Amino acid sequence: MNYAFSLRAVVPYLNGLLPAAMATITVSLATMALSLAIGMLFAIGRQNRSGAIRFISTAYVEFFRNTPLLVVLYFVYFMIPTIGLRLSSFSSALVAMTLHAGAYMTEILRAGLLAVPDGQYDGARSQGMTSWQILRHVVMPQVFRTIYAPLGNQFISIILGSSLTSAIAVNEVTAWTQTAGAASFRYFEFFLVAAVVYLVLSQAVNLARIQIGRALFPEEQGVSGAGRQP
Amino acid sequence: MTDASLLAYVPILLKAARLTIWLSWLALLIGSVGGLALALMRTSRFASLRLSAMLYTEFFRSIPILIVLFFCYYGVPLLLGIDLSAFAAATVALGLHASSMMSEVIRAGIDSVRRGQWDAAKAAGMTYVQMMRHVIGPQAVQVILPPSVGIYIMMLKESSVASIIGYVELTSTGLLIREQIGSGFAIVGVVALLYFAMCYAISLLGGALETRMKIAGRSMQLGELR
Repeated sequence: MNYAFSLRAVVPYLNGLLPAAMATITVSLATMALSLAIGMLFAIGRQNRSGAIRFISTAYVEFFRNTPLLVVLYFVYFMIPTIGLRLSSFSSALVAMTLHAGAYMTEILRAGLLAVPDGQYDGARSQGMTSWQILRHVVMPQVFRTIYAPLGNQFISIILGSSLTSAIAVNEVTAWTQTAGAASFRYFEFFLVAAVVYLVLSQAVNLARIQIGRALFPEEQGVSGAGRQP
Repeated sequence: MTDASLLAYVPILLKAARLTIWLSWLALLIGSVGGLALALMRTSRFASLRLSAMLYTEFFRSIPILIVLFFCYYGVPLLLGIDLSAFAAATVALGLHASSMMSEVIRAGIDSVRRGQWDAAKAAGMTYVQMMRHVIGPQAVQVILPPSVGIYIMMLKESSVASIIGYVELTSTGLLIREQIGSGFAIVGVVALLYFAMCYAISLLGGALETRMKIAGRSMQLGELR
């Protein structure tokens, strides 16, 4: 071992870390929001009466759950200029990550919708509620309870997955690590810093989920505070 | 570019897909051994073993596989003064990551075995190894196998990151062909379809396995009630 470990080597590059971390957070938050919308659309689509809509929704979910995010990123990144669009690599990354995460969101939301007993719909209908009112006041609060914990885990996978956007030139934390590591030849220190950044981000989400869960669902301590599923 | 010219690349891609399968299979193998060790540590009597296994698992589930991969490929050679090929680095990185996931699955399997089974095995005078081998293990496997298929699919997909450090598997073969063609995205689409075909086929097999295991699991519980 003749490698002189020195965290001081990281210091000159630290002013690049903040914008990089912001990029990681921004792309993750945006993916989370967009994939939730897409997931809702397809989750409802998977329960549609029309067989064609059900098939399209299922095909979407199965395709994106069974392809690597990295390949989807490359596909979108190379496709967008070919079809005559001009998008930054950040936007391309957002499109690809949303398509990918949307498939997982669909499954989470679908499980949430399926967990609402049929009697709840019947009861709400007999109260004279409109479809929208049923969705808004009866179904969604119950769905939210079911999806709450998986949603937190999904957010962590989105944050970790965003590291792959460095492959299509998005300047986030992993790209910063790579550039700074190559420039200084101090890979070890930079990977350590990057690991700490990701560790802090994902544990912050994890702890926030547990704490907020305790406040939201005080009656089911064990469930909302339960550990992450594999 | 016509579709026929893309078809010409399919044999090369299939050969590359075999490397992807090989890489992910090795990762699963390392993951199973590492995961078993970690799961045994997490269910052990000693708090220090439990804590270190938990820290390992949480650490690897909280950082991206790409950072682990970079660490293995660029960091380890600097640190230890040994040269790691891209293949070796990718195998180790994926294996470390798989271990953390397998440990959770194996732990859930061990935890699923009822308390009475442990007590009975202990009362019969079995050693720890005998107990795990003859009583706990066979019952835990039914809970462990179905999610392991999911972890293998995950490894198949995650092995695509090896392309970033220059290991020529399926993804990077696709990118190299794309460079040779000049531009376009269709070849990346073909690569995506190949991944889909592999993962979807395995997930269907996994689904069938899960159904069978569930039935086995139910009959096991019925047997216990009697």
